[in-house]
Amino acid sequence: MYFKGINSYGDRGLVLDFGNETSKSISQEVNETFLNISNLNLQSLNIIPSFNKIVVIFENSKIRDQNKDKISMKMRDTNSKTNKKVTKTWEIPACYNEDFALDIKIVQKLHQITKEEVINFHSSVRYYTYYIGFMPGFPYLGDVPSQLITPRLATPRVKIPARSIGIAKNHTCIYPKVSPGGWNIIGQIPFDIFDLQSSYPSLFLPGDEVKFYSVSLSEFEKIRKYNFSLNELVKEYSS
Amino acid sequence: MNSIIITRAGTHSTIQDFGRFQYQHLGVSPSGAMDQRIITELQKIIPNHQNQFLEFAYVGPSIKVKEGSVKICVGGNCNMSIEKNNNSQLECHPYKSINLFEGDELIIHNTIDSVYGYIAFEHGLGLEPCLNSYSTDTKAGIGSINRPLNDEDMFHISKDVSSWDLISIPKPDLEKVTNFKVYPGPQLQYFSDNTLQSFISGVFTITNQSDRMGIRLKGESLISSKSHDILSEGILPGSIQVPSDGQPIVLMRDIPCTGGYPKIAILNEVDISRISQLPPETKITFDLQTIY
Repeated sequence: MYFKGINSYGDRGLVLDFGNETSKSISQEVNETFLNISNLNLQSLNIIPSFNKIVVIFENSKIRDQNKDKISMKMRDTNSKTNKKVTKTWEIPACYNEDFALDIKIVQKLHQITKEEVINFHSSVRYYTYYIGFMPGFPYLGDVPSQLITPRLATPRVKIPARSIGIAKNHTCIYPKVSPGGWNIIGQIPFDIFDLQSSYPSLFLPGDEVKFYSVSLSEFEKIRKYNFSLNELVKEYSS
Repeated sequence: MNSIIITRAGTHSTIQDFGRFQYQHLGVSPSGAMDQRIITELQKIIPNHQNQFLEFAYVGPSIKVKEGSVKICVGGNCNMSIEKNNNSQLECHPYKSINLFEGDELIIHNTIDSVYGYIAFEHGLGLEPCLNSYSTDTKAGIGSINRPLNDEDMFHISKDVSSWDLISIPKPDLEKVTNFKVYPGPQLQYFSDNTLQSFISGVFTITNQSDRMGIRLKGESLISSKSHDILSEGILPGSIQVPSDGQPIVLMRDIPCTGGYPKIAILNEVDISRISQLPPETKITFDLQTIY
């Protein structure tokens, strides 16, 4: 148990505190708690998990105070472990072709490794989805192998292509759409991961496990042409 | 069928409602009208507004009826007039319903000593919700219309006006507030007593680098005694965050979903609406409430 307690955030928010450290096991507790609290059907406006906090937002202080006890009670209930597995495991095709790997040389140079080694290291790990943030559907995945840990770009790129795979510090990510950003871009995936037409618009959810596998440019193009819907992607690439 | 066309989009005109909720954990900002007091008032005049309000800032839009007729009401503090289809000019005022007929053009010149104004349309603007809300987040490209409004944008309202009766309410008392009571932020302890004193006794100026995402303030530098870089965590509108230059930013409706700067304090909900109406160069002060 990393849970430290519940604090106020202004007059209408709560912060569930899981300490100041980060690790996969802390995030697992955070994301499990997130699911438990979501299932309480609180009168909340938003429940936002991050590395070691969960922020819960209400319309006003009265509703906040009414709902705080329900959360406290749930946090005390040690039998509340959700055994039901709701998170997914993904196998995601990734193309590390030089057309997409805009910054792979930075990673190679920093660690004195070949392009093939970057690809092997990056696709060797089953990443944990710490949380979704920064922009709609953007997953913070980790941890990348120590051989790939790379600081953010000194000057952020104005326009990162949609679906790009990035590395910053010990995290890796996928940009759902075109965006400015400072992550080192090392590849691209062949489909969209955020769809406003879907009632569950994000392909990834906090707690999901994600593994990349390397595909050639021709395979990438083939998959891209399918134009998979989010539902089809779930069937095709997750278990 | 009734249709209207935007003949001049104005600056920063977007469609907004009371906000998009339950998606912030997927990186989707709540958005919604900057001054929610005004759309709350407009509901009294146009009850069947379908949550499709037009928000404008500084320079308002002009709207012409292409076909049929529409009933609307403007909220906020603004100069406006109607060009009738026979070229005569008609006076009109906020918080009074307006019937517009084919060829009539409503011209909203500008907001007066404030920033945001709103138009409510009876039966809405014929839009479909996006993730259960009509609000536009231009940065994320989310919304019934996922961008600011442009000249020539057309809206079709299939239902006809229910009644030509003119309805008005007394101009609501949206008094200008420049002293804000704030609650301690989650990282209050990142700031020394001396810095907190500067925050409370200092005067901060609203800069023109302010928009729907945040209001940047200029004033005495509030340097953290610990760090200006925290691990990203969920944030809510009204939070006052302090980046490393020590100049506070009040986060507004198009909030980034998580943030990595310490938050010294947070405004209450109605003060978010109040502060949104203060034009650049307005001087404001903060009053820190005891631990809530």
